[in-house]
Amino acid sequence: MELNINGIQHHVDVEPDTPLLWALRDDLAMTGTKYGCGLAQCGACTVLVDGQAVRSCVTPVEKVAGASITTIEAIEQDDLGKRVVAAWVKHQVPQCGYCQSGQVMAATSLLRQVPHPTDADIDAAMVNLCRCGTYNAIRAAIHDLASGSTDGGA
Amino acid sequence: MTNRLKKIFTVVIPASAVLAAGTAWFVTRFPASSFEKTGSQGEPSAQLVARGEYVSRLTDCVACHSVPGGAAYTGGLKMVTPMGAIFATNITPDRERGIGAYTLADFDRALRSGVAKDGHRLYPAMPYPSYAKLSDDDVKALYAYFMKGVPAVHLENRKSTIPWPLNMRWPLAFWNVVFAPSDVYRPDTSKDAQWNRGAYLVEGAGHCGACHTPRSLAFNEKGTDSRSAAFVSGALIDGWFAPSLRNDANTGLGRWSEDDVFRFLKTGRNDHAVVFGSMTEAFNNSTQFFSDDDLRAVAHYLKSLPGDGQRDGTPWQYEPTQTKALQPAGRQGIPGAQTYMAKCSFCHGADGRGQGQWVPPLAGAASSLVPDSSSSINVTLNGSGRVVAAGVPDSYRMPSYREQLSDGEIADVLTFIRSSWGNRQSPVMKPDVKKLREQTVPASSSPVILKTR
Repeated sequence: MELNINGIQHHVDVEPDTPLLWALRDDLAMTGTKYGCGLAQCGACTVLVDGQAVRSCVTPVEKVAGASITTIEAIEQDDLGKRVVAAWVKHQVPQCGYCQSGQVMAATSLLRQVPHPTDADIDAAMVNLCRCGTYNAIRAAIHDLASGSTDGGA
Repeated sequence: MTNRLKKIFTVVIPASAVLAAGTAWFVTRFPASSFEKTGSQGEPSAQLVARGEYVSRLTDCVACHSVPGGAAYTGGLKMVTPMGAIFATNITPDRERGIGAYTLADFDRALRSGVAKDGHRLYPAMPYPSYAKLSDDDVKALYAYFMKGVPAVHLENRKSTIPWPLNMRWPLAFWNVVFAPSDVYRPDTSKDAQWNRGAYLVEGAGHCGACHTPRSLAFNEKGTDSRSAAFVSGALIDGWFAPSLRNDANTGLGRWSEDDVFRFLKTGRNDHAVVFGSMTEAFNNSTQFFSDDDLRAVAHYLKSLPGDGQRDGTPWQYEPTQTKALQPAGRQGIPGAQTYMAKCSFCHGADGRGQGQWVPPLAGAASSLVPDSSSSINVTLNGSGRVVAAGVPDSYRMPSYREQLSDGEIADVLTFIRSSWGNRQSPVMKPDVKKLREQTVPASSSPVILKTR
């Protein structure tokens, strides 16, 4: 199966129903994307497929062959993604960090759809779980990004 | 006075005695087995035992005559009726507690006529009205398998909780005369061999109608073969709505090809649906073990059953109605939309179309289009069971939302699903969710609830 990940074509030899998460982590050793619940409930495994946030643990590779997949490893190659990471650093969002690659992907997807999200928009879109409770820091970082004060070089 | 006494002694009492004896004979011995005159056949061949094992897959005896964690065929499955609970029995060849003492004729009478060896009547929870259609050869093979292929287990049957006088079983003899077919399957000569094999499997061995055919007030299936429009037209059973298997475009197999039906029964999934609810067990234990020819026959037969446009309504067509409503700003004003995006969309898609054969669509799914919302509610509360195809468990499974979502949230999200993408069903009400939440407790081995409608 051919997968386009972060602009690079990869060949993976897996069953068509293999979750994308396992192709990424086990076959391609891209371990930045995390396994949390395996049931699309927590969001730790979030990646972008054609710009949309998807849960890679419930995405059969068959479904994304031919699509453009972006993982946390390459998020900073994207201007918006780079700004999100910078804001995450500025606001010191991560605590243990396990869920944060998924949070960054979800935030990037939200800001691409809605450049100036309200609190309600953030609540609606950022449904990834964080055991450390970094939700307030996430919200502050997203508002900061929306107001444009965090530049990519920060 | 003397005359009258004389008359009583000479006419009434003997007549009553004859009548009572006749009735007793009728309710305990009727009908006779066609194997009554067949003596012991000696040791069955390994081939016959193997054939019997295959027939046991077709008839799926294990589905009811076992409980999770228990030895196969030792019974114990609880079934709740309005009168009390009954339990499936031990059908291992243990001589005292199982059916080890049964002759072929005894076995046949239990299987095809619903009469146990001691003469008591079985409740029609045992699908003998369907098994009545089994051929003599299949009954013989099944007997050989149960005597020689199944290990005997010395486990006592559980007593029914139905109180006297409702627990008297002899009146079932009369029920059978009215409601139960009593003849083996007779091929319809106007149809081809594949169709007839399919009819034999669906109406008889597979007893699909036991769940998929609606029952009347007397608990009988409203139709038992292809001549009845009610046959496998969909029914509520055990907290699930078993959908129509007829060519109903919305609530049945109208949009499925024969190959779709074949793949569903063989692999548990296709682009229209994935097995869930009670069908998971039917797939895990039974349909996937059918030979390809038998499954193709089932598909061929089912696709010949006409739908009912009046009951089914205007055929569903996909409508991309919710794309805008599901944007972060749009979904905040629509009850259920936010829950859909947060809990459902990652698997079933923001477009409701699922992910190929791996995750079923909700758009156009029979469970979304059927007026009874039980299956939608039940699968949301309790998730789906493990689907094991050819020994390999599924990669994707519906989780249980019992602890995560309230009755109101489930009602809202299902109302949203059942009114999006061309689905047009009435709203799901909170009390419906509450009721099923109380009836279905996933942690305990929940009893089968037998219902009529």
